[in-house]
Amino acid sequence: MSLSAKRTAIKGRGGRTRLMSLLAIRMMFHDRAKLIGTLLGVVFATVLVNQQLGVFLGLLGKNTMMVDNAGADLWIVPPSTQTLQGGSPISIYTLNQARVTDGVAWAEPIVYGTAIIQRPDGGAEPVTLVGSRLSHLAGGPWNLVAGDVSALAYPDTVIFEDSQRQKLGGLNLGSVRELSGHRVIVGGFTWGLIPFGPPYAFASYETARDILHIAEDQTTFVLVRASPGADLASIQHDLEARLPNTRIYQRQDFHDSIVWYLIRAQLGISFGTSTAFAVIVGFVIVALSMFSAVVDNVREFGTLKAMGATTFDLARLLFVQALSYAFLGTTIGLFLVTRMSEGIRSPNLSLILPPEIFLGTYGLMAVLCVLASTLALARVRSVEPGMVFR
Amino acid sequence: MSEVTLSAKGVTKTYGTGAVAFQALRGVDFEASAGEFVMLNGPSGSGKTTLLSIMGCVLSPTSGEVRIFDELVSGKKERQLPPLRLAYIGFIFQGNNLIQSLDARDNVALPLRLRGYPVREANAEAEALLERVGLGDKLERPPAELSGGQRQRVAIARALAGRPPIILADEPTAALDAETGMTVTELLKEMAREGGHTVVVVTHDNRIFHLADRIVHIEDGHIVPAPAH
Repeated sequence: MSLSAKRTAIKGRGGRTRLMSLLAIRMMFHDRAKLIGTLLGVVFATVLVNQQLGVFLGLLGKNTMMVDNAGADLWIVPPSTQTLQGGSPISIYTLNQARVTDGVAWAEPIVYGTAIIQRPDGGAEPVTLVGSRLSHLAGGPWNLVAGDVSALAYPDTVIFEDSQRQKLGGLNLGSVRELSGHRVIVGGFTWGLIPFGPPYAFASYETARDILHIAEDQTTFVLVRASPGADLASIQHDLEARLPNTRIYQRQDFHDSIVWYLIRAQLGISFGTSTAFAVIVGFVIVALSMFSAVVDNVREFGTLKAMGATTFDLARLLFVQALSYAFLGTTIGLFLVTRMSEGIRSPNLSLILPPEIFLGTYGLMAVLCVLASTLALARVRSVEPGMVFR
Repeated sequence: MSEVTLSAKGVTKTYGTGAVAFQALRGVDFEASAGEFVMLNGPSGSGKTTLLSIMGCVLSPTSGEVRIFDELVSGKKERQLPPLRLAYIGFIFQGNNLIQSLDARDNVALPLRLRGYPVREANAEAEALLERVGLGDKLERPPAELSGGQRQRVAIARALAGRPPIILADEPTAALDAETGMTVTELLKEMAREGGHTVVVVTHDNRIFHLADRIVHIEDGHIVPAPAH
């Protein structure tokens, strides 16, 4: 009798992954308490990471909404400007130079600054006042929910943020208020235009310039629209040559500048820290839960080894469990955070959760769970098959 | 004379080193032939479970040789042992060690699936074995819903799945009452004889000694003549 005939039939190793996957899922759902505990870790990390990132992206969106909605391809700003808080005004000469540059369809100035509105009860509230020319309305307003933008053609007319009407003193269409010492009439309302600071208010260029006390030969920014088909980089280069005492941004570059400024500033550190904290806490919960599950079932793992399963087989089992925990926990977490974002969405606070964040969360949680499972794997590696006889 | 399926020659096993070293086996010679039903008996700490573990390729001897058929299995590397266990050995454990999250059929099919059997084929053989041990109506019952005797019968079916030439059992009746223990051991012997399996059973249970073809007595790490009962 040959040796091979004496052995029991080994029909291959092809089904091992499927077998370990079946075992992984059965073991997961058999111990409901561990399943719930581990999922809570993933759900916690998913919700907190997405809530923090969503709020952070919401705040970034508030800070870049002016750049994104102003309708300009290029922004001419004071030198060393990184955000919309530009510092010293620039000369109106800049506007003339921009208008005569090749490839420029139009150029318009805007004034931008903080004004104080007096409330009827004696209090005062700041607003971020934007003044733009009516010809192109570069710089707003947009998202009007009451009134008409044409009202800005009338002297001393200002459009305010609808969601802040009470806070700004019970504003209504036609209300008369004092804005930084100027008498103004409420000509309309926008919705959701609140940057990370005082809400936006819009006026004609001249009205805003008077209110903000900006000299006639100066302006805050100049917005430039390129002619269709014109090369933006070329226009930017020409403007930089003509206007050495300014900074020229393409729209996306200015947007990115604001974003990076905020990320580098305390806002990014604060949100980054809490996001990292969420990931670490989730990692610890998942790692301990999976480790605990292995410890609780160590005899079963020993039995599997005694029967002929290898450490690699059991690593596959843990890998499938880790990915399953990640998928289930992330799906539940994203459902919760989506519902949460719908619940808390307001002009003051919004969670921006683009699809990329959702996909990234699945990837992040998969990596988190697989890494967390290494602690359990270390325990599985150390299981001796001989322990089943003790 | 039947072919020797399992042999140990001069096997020693020492746990620990130095002052705390403990010699569990002190040069054991052992043989079992195809179809033989051998019981290993001895007091606690005598080394019988250590010998079973070494013959089951789950523990390496300190010295000596262990062969399964003509294949020298002692001295093999750790990673070479799982395929040997799969190829030659079925295990029955004291606490049955069934996978709690799997039903009876999946528990019995498990070693077959590890050997690469397709699901349908593994399930068919598992169902036939469970039918044979009298659990044909409990295929989908998880271990928690079976009695101690039923669980041990599932463990017997699992050990026999794939017809491994050697069955090693560690105190298979320890957790069972006398009647159930007797029934389970009789079933194991009957099925092993039908399949031509070599069975080595470690036991303290003198109520089942009469079922053995041969009783090997171990004391203090040595095989000694069996005491008169």
